[in-house]
Amino acid sequence: MNTQSNFVVRAFRWFDPRGRSLSGWGFMIHRLTALGLTFYLFLHLIVLGQLAQGPDAYDNFLKSTESPLYKIGELSVVAAVFLHGLNGVRIVMTSFGIAVPRQREIFIGAMVIGLVAIVIFGIRMFIG
Amino acid sequence: MVEKWNITVKFYRQKQGEKPHDQEIKMDVNPDENVIDLVERAWALHDRTLVFAHACHHSTCGACGMRVNEREKLACITPVRSVVANGGTLKVAPLRNFPVISDLVVDMGELYRRMDLVGHQPVDSDREEAIQPEFRPAGPAEPNEDFMRLSDCIECGLCMSACPVFSSTPDYLGPAVLAGAHQAGLEKNPLLFKLIDSATGVWRCHSAFECTAVCPSNVDPGWRIMELRRKVIGDRVKTLFNPRKPAEVGK
Amino acid sequence: MTKPHAIIIGAGFTGVATAHDLAMRGFDVTVVERGPIANGTSGRTHGLLHSGGRYAVKDQESAIECIDENLILRKIVPSVIEPNGGLFVALSESDLDYAEEFIAGCEACHIPIEQLTPQRALKLEPNLNPKLLVAFTIPDGTFDPLRLAMSFAATAKKNGANFHLYHEVKSLLMDGKATVTGARLLDRTSNKEIDLHGDIVINATGAWAGEITAMAGADVPIKPTPGIMVAFERRTAQRAINRLCAPADGDIVLPQRRMMVVGTTSFAADNLDYIPIVEDQIKLMVERAADLLPGLRSVKLRGIYMASRPLIGGGTGRSIARTFKCFDHKETHNLDGFVTITGGKATTLRAMAEKTADTVCAKLGINAACQTKETPLISYRQFYSLN
Repeated sequence: MNTQSNFVVRAFRWFDPRGRSLSGWGFMIHRLTALGLTFYLFLHLIVLGQLAQGPDAYDNFLKSTESPLYKIGELSVVAAVFLHGLNGVRIVMTSFGIAVPRQREIFIGAMVIGLVAIVIFGIRMFIG
Repeated sequence: MVEKWNITVKFYRQKQGEKPHDQEIKMDVNPDENVIDLVERAWALHDRTLVFAHACHHSTCGACGMRVNEREKLACITPVRSVVANGGTLKVAPLRNFPVISDLVVDMGELYRRMDLVGHQPVDSDREEAIQPEFRPAGPAEPNEDFMRLSDCIECGLCMSACPVFSSTPDYLGPAVLAGAHQAGLEKNPLLFKLIDSATGVWRCHSAFECTAVCPSNVDPGWRIMELRRKVIGDRVKTLFNPRKPAEVGK
Repeated sequence: MTKPHAIIIGAGFTGVATAHDLAMRGFDVTVVERGPIANGTSGRTHGLLHSGGRYAVKDQESAIECIDENLILRKIVPSVIEPNGGLFVALSESDLDYAEEFIAGCEACHIPIEQLTPQRALKLEPNLNPKLLVAFTIPDGTFDPLRLAMSFAATAKKNGANFHLYHEVKSLLMDGKATVTGARLLDRTSNKEIDLHGDIVINATGAWAGEITAMAGADVPIKPTPGIMVAFERRTAQRAINRLCAPADGDIVLPQRRMMVVGTTSFAADNLDYIPIVEDQIKLMVERAADLLPGLRSVKLRGIYMASRPLIGGGTGRSIARTFKCFDHKETHNLDGFVTITGGKATTLRAMAEKTADTVCAKLGINAACQTKETPLISYRQFYSLN
């Protein structure tokens, strides 16, 4: 099956946004946030690695994080954690056969909670 | 008086060895007719070179699966009204994840091979499920040992086309096949258990539930995959406390 | 010795069954079809595995064919059949008058029936019209049209038959004016033409038979007679429900998967490739179905479709017999190498194939017996998985 297309094309096929249902978008959000968080983990380790170059290097880096660009970055990490974590709870539940017929409603609920939490964090980070 | 709409139908066209292109045909339609009726009319009256698959025209055969406005649909039970407005454009394309033979027809041989592999039964004996609750008799049903009915899965391939995981991983058995395994029954077949408890089986599913969203035939593959996982986990817990004797392992 | 090569035009019920029969008799078989398997009348049948009861009064030849073939199909292809029987139900005094002829007809055609009281019938099928006066059990069934055709096609393929789907016959190849030697095909998937040569060309195009015979300058007395069928999105019975009356519009409602299907009507058509749906007939079908199973009145419709029966001979509509006929065009038009099989019903597909194969064997002087009565068919899925 789909052997006509090469491996690289196939590797991205899962992100085909055409004709998707709500829970299909849930899958795409889940995987995109997972990739984002993995990327963040590497960044985090690189930054922590600067500690080895002495206190000055690290302090300089910390200063640069005051910029709004970094704040947006930080907020997207928080957003990804909420969306991925809350959706993850739904996926664990359904994987054990719990509430499968209600998965769509649970997804909507999880996303609403996630968005509210993101907004609260955003307000506190940028205003409060 | 029959309502009359004028719409543009955009057909995906591809002959073997050629690149695909879109073809637009303006058509007068009745909003209550089904998409397969206008596809057939396009072939009969507008362009005889159009290739499409169909047989029963009432959702018992599963031949006319295609993508209507990108979404997987059984064309014979998709009213025009539900997918386009008067004056609008309707896009008709073949299913995803299967090789295109020509135009709207794909090769679903692999799906059929896998359905045989898991032993899905084209007729089964469940009697109650076939009749929706409001039409079930009040008292206990008259026993009928020989009762058989055509099973729900019509092997239309819509779920295989909509599954994002199957798109990227052709080795993944896929929703129709796992649902078929669930219907065939793991209990009767230890080999089947091994087949689905694997990286290309139930654990490859990533809970997009697109299969259940597009299934036109009450199969609910998403639910069946989760039921299979529950059974596998149940079996793991059982063997944790009560390990199989070496002779039984690998049975 | 090389095998005789038979070209079969049409992969509907007759075409695939004839391919199976001839492949078992040692022919080299090629089936050509302009669309997929069973895309015409065959795919769009009602799906009733006839017991013959419908024809037992006026058309006993068809009735006997039906009951014989019904029993054979149950044995050789159980995987595509709901074998749950049927009922003939009387709702009016005139239905009751018909009952006497019906009982006698079924007896004459050895169709086993059993009379039921209304109470007993309602016990079996609680959603029947409670006003029913009498009912008879009958060995009807339901089949999946596409999968029935594919089971024959798969078995033929296993025995060596070739299938050229999406190949349209553009013309017949002739040796002079008196012999058909093959067909010129257009591969619709690639728009390329190919010529195919055979020892015999079998026209199994049902309602379209006249279009093919015209290519050789011959004709057949076929009267394409379309009818409508309506599928409801609820299953309210486990058996095929027939109105106890002479064949009429909407006299049969049968279950299929989770649906009920009612049919049919009978009228004449101009363009067989596209038969428009007549709105008035939909209403009529819903009324007729609700007479037998009143709950259906409030059920949503799921599918509406038209199919064109290939009826043979003079007469009009319902009065035409439902039997089949194999025409050797050597006899009808002094045209060799060419036979047409048409008429008949889905239930009698195997018998039609047997008759055709007998005719072909006699023409070519081949001595091979029919084996399809006892041979179980393989899984329809293997039509796609065999290469």
